[in-house]
Amino acid sequence: MRDRLTNAMRASHVLALIFVAGALALAVIGAATGDTFYLRLGTEALIFAGLALSVDLLLGYSGALSLGQALYFGVGAYVSALTLLKVPSFWLAMLAAGGATLVASIIGGLIANRVRGVYFALITFGLAQVVSKVVYNTRELGASDGMIGIPVIDIGFGPFSVSAGNPVGFFLIVLAIIMGLYWLTAYLLDTPFGRVLTALKANEKRVPFLGYSVWRARMFSYVLAGLIAGLSGALYPMLRGFVSPELMFFATSGNAVISVILGGVGTLIGAIYGSVLLVVLKSIIGSWTEHHLIVIGLIFMICVMFLPKGLIGFIRPRLEERLSEKTPDATPLTSVSLQPGSAKP
Amino acid sequence: MNALDYLQFVLAPQVVNGLALGVAVVLVALGLTIIFGMLDVINMSHGEFYAIGAYAALALGAAGINFWFLLVLVPILMVPLGMAAERLLIRPVFDSKDRHVTTLLVTFGLALVVEDLLKVVFGPNTQRPPTPIPGATELAGIIVPNYRLFLIVVGAAIVSAVAYVVYRTRLGAMVRAAAFDRNMAASLGVPVALVYAGTFAFGVALAGLAGVLLAPIYSVFPTMGRDFILLAFTVVIVGGMGSIWGAVVAGLLLTQVQALASLVISPVWTDPIVFGTMVAFLVFRPQGLFGRLGHA
Amino acid sequence: MSNHVLDIRDLGIAFGGLKAVDQVSFKAERNRITTVIGPNGAGKSTLFNLISGALKPRSGQILIDGVDLTGASPARTKAAGLSRSFQITNLFFELTVAENLRMAAQVLEPVGRAFLPIGRSTRALAKTAEMLERFQLGHKRDELAGNLSHGDQRRLEIAVCLASEPKILLLDEPTQGMSHSDTADTAKLVRALSRDVSVLLIEHDIGLVMDLSDHVVVMHQGRKLAEGPPAVVRADPAVQAAYFGHH
Repeated sequence: MRDRLTNAMRASHVLALIFVAGALALAVIGAATGDTFYLRLGTEALIFAGLALSVDLLLGYSGALSLGQALYFGVGAYVSALTLLKVPSFWLAMLAAGGATLVASIIGGLIANRVRGVYFALITFGLAQVVSKVVYNTRELGASDGMIGIPVIDIGFGPFSVSAGNPVGFFLIVLAIIMGLYWLTAYLLDTPFGRVLTALKANEKRVPFLGYSVWRARMFSYVLAGLIAGLSGALYPMLRGFVSPELMFFATSGNAVISVILGGVGTLIGAIYGSVLLVVLKSIIGSWTEHHLIVIGLIFMICVMFLPKGLIGFIRPRLEERLSEKTPDATPLTSVSLQPGSAKP
Repeated sequence: MNALDYLQFVLAPQVVNGLALGVAVVLVALGLTIIFGMLDVINMSHGEFYAIGAYAALALGAAGINFWFLLVLVPILMVPLGMAAERLLIRPVFDSKDRHVTTLLVTFGLALVVEDLLKVVFGPNTQRPPTPIPGATELAGIIVPNYRLFLIVVGAAIVSAVAYVVYRTRLGAMVRAAAFDRNMAASLGVPVALVYAGTFAFGVALAGLAGVLLAPIYSVFPTMGRDFILLAFTVVIVGGMGSIWGAVVAGLLLTQVQALASLVISPVWTDPIVFGTMVAFLVFRPQGLFGRLGHA
Repeated sequence: MSNHVLDIRDLGIAFGGLKAVDQVSFKAERNRITTVIGPNGAGKSTLFNLISGALKPRSGQILIDGVDLTGASPARTKAAGLSRSFQITNLFFELTVAENLRMAAQVLEPVGRAFLPIGRSTRALAKTAEMLERFQLGHKRDELAGNLSHGDQRRLEIAVCLASEPKILLLDEPTQGMSHSDTADTAKLVRALSRDVSVLLIEHDIGLVMDLSDHVVVMHQGRKLAEGPPAVVRADPAVQAAYFGHH
C-alpha cells in the first residue's frame, strides 16, 4: 500500500535523479574542457540550494515562512571559516559548523516558535538582522570586510583525498552533500513523524487533539532546517576562500525564498531546481543588463500569483500520474484542486 | 567639557535629531500600520513607495516645481499608483488560503522590481534636494535647523489629521467597518472593493508624502526604502500592528533609544539594539504596546 | 477499575464576568452513552473544551479513569485515552481520507517507529483499513477530506476519533447539518460504538437524545440543572421550564 504523499515524494526522487544526472553531465563536460568558471558557479548554486532546501522544509511542510534562514547559513559559514583558519580539516569544520548551528537553531527556535504566521516571518527576519549587524560590527570576525584567506583544504576519505581547489572534485563532493541532505529530509518527511509536520501545515489546531505536541514538531523542523542551512553554509568558505556579513543579510534569505517559490513550495527538489534556475537566470539576464532584479522580481511575482506551486509543482503531478499508472491504488496528490474556501465547512 | 555644555551641545541636539527622525519614522510607519490594520496585508514594498515619493520630489523639484506644491502634488500622484498596485497585485491573492504570506511575498517581489527600476531611471548615486527652509533657530540655547523644526511640527499635524480621519469621521468608520467584517459592511452598502483600494492607496500616499518631507534631510538613493523600512517595521510591531497611536509612541521612543544609544554606546550598535527590541516584543508581547492581534 | 471512566468535579471557568461553566459535577459510566443537553449558550461546548484540555479550568477537577488530568494539555489528555470531535468539522482537508485516519491511529505505534518509513507502522495501517471498512469510506480512501460530502466528513471525523482506540469519546453534535437519513445512520453508529467505548455526547436533537442516551446531563446558563436517565430528566419540572419550554 502506498499513499499519495509517498507517491508525490517518489516523483520528487525521480526529479532528483534527473538533477543528479544533469549535474554529473556538467562535471564530465567541465572536466573534459578544463572549465573552472561554470563548475564553481554550479558549486555555489548547489550550496545555496541547501539553504533553499531548509526554507522549503519550513514553508512547504510545517507552513512557517522564515525570512531569516540565512542566519544559520552564515553561522555555519563563519564557524567553518574560523575552524579552517586554525585547523585545515574538512571534517572538523563540518562538525564544528553543525554543532554551532544546532545550538544556534535551538536558541532561535525557542524564540521564534513562540509565535505563528506572519509574526514568525518577522521574528526570523529580526533575529537574522540582529546577528548580522553584530557580526558586521565585530572586529574579531572581520567586521564589514568579513574574513579572507581561508586556506584551500584537502578533503580526505580514508585513503583518498580531494582538494577543495579541484573544481570537479569539490563540485562532486558538494553535490553529494546537498543531495544527501535532500534525501535525509525527504526520508524524514515520509515517516510518521514527518507527516505530523504536514499535518501542522494542513490544520495546526487539530494536531494536539490527536495526541501530538505541536511545539515539539515545530521545534524539530526548525532545528533540522537550521542544521541543513548551517551545513550548506559551512561549504561556502571552502569554495570561495572568504566569508562576509552579506551571507547573513536579508538578500541571502530572500534569494532562498525566491528559489523555493520558483522551484515549487513543498516539493523539496523544487528548492534545488529553483536555486539553480535563479543562478542561471541571473547569469543570462546579467549578460545583457546589470538590472536583473527587475526581471527576477517580475517572474517571482508571477509565480506567487499564478503558479503558486512553482516549476516542479507544475511538472510533478504529470510525473505522479505516470508513476501511479503502475500502482493503481495511488492517485496524484496535486491534481485535485481544492476549491477556494473549501477548507471551511 | 562640563555637564551643562554636554547637555547643550551634545545631548540636547541629539535628542532633537532623534525627534525629527522619530517623526519621520512615524510617517512611514503610519501607512504600514494602516494597511496592516485595515487590510491585514504586510506591505513589504512600502519602503519603495517611500523612495518613489522622494525621487518624485527630487525630479519634479529639479524641473522647477515649488517644494510646497510638491507636498500636495506627490501624494496625489501616489494615489493611482497605490490603487493600481492593490488592484493588480493584492486583490488577486487577497482571498488565498494564507493571505499574510502570499501578500508579503507579492509585495516583496514588487520591492525588488521598484528598487531596481529606480536604479535604472535615476542611477545608483545618492542625491539630495536643496533644503526648502534654510537657516537655524536657537531654542533655549540649542541650535536647531529650521527644516527639522518644520518637519516635527508638520509631521505631528499629519499624524493627528490621519488619526482624526480614521477614528473620528464617517469615512474612517466605514473603512473600519469594512476591515472588521467585509460581508457585513457590504450588506450595509459600504463599497468594500473601493474602500480596500482606497485604504491601500492612502497608505502609499502617506509613504510618498514622507518621501517628499524626508528627502532634504536623509538624501535620496535607490535602497533608501529598504534601509528605512526595517526601522518602520520595528515601530509597527512594537507599537502594535494596526494601531496608529502605538506607531506614534513606539516611533518616538525607539528613535530616542537609537539616538541616545549611538551617543552613549556607539552608533554601530544602534541597529542590534533596535532589532533586538523588535524581537523581544515579538517574543514577550507580540500584540505590541497598543495593538490587538488581528484587529484594527 | 472504577466503573466511571470520566469524573468531573465542581468544574468552573469564567470569561470576563460571565461564568460559562459553573460548579459542574457529573460522572460518565464506562461503555455507556452520556449526553449533555441544554439551550444555546448553556456552556456545553465550553465544558467539552475544558475536558479535552483546550481550555484550562479555573476551579474543579477532571479525572479520566481515576487519573487527575485537570489543566493538562490536549496532547496529554489524548494520551490518557480521550478523543474528541468538533462541532464544526475539523479535519486535515488537504490530506486524504486514509491519511487522516492513519495520523490518528499512529499513536498506537511504539515511539521508535515514528522515524521509520510509514509502511513499517503496520498497526496504524491495519487500524486505518479497519476504520475505512467499518465507516464505509474504503472507496474514498484517496479522496482529499476537503472534497467529501458533509455527511462523509462528519462520519470521517468520528472515525478519526475512534482510530486511536480511546477509552472515552467526546462527540460534539455529530449529526449537525445532517440529512434525516444520515442522522438515523449516525445514531445507529453511535449506539454500536458504545459497546466498546464510553461516549460523551452533545446533541440538539431531543428525540435522538432520548432514544440514544443511557444518562442525560442538562445544563442551563453554565450550571448543571439536572441529571439522570432520559425518562426521569424529561419529567423534571425544572428541565421542562428551562429547556423543553422553548421548543
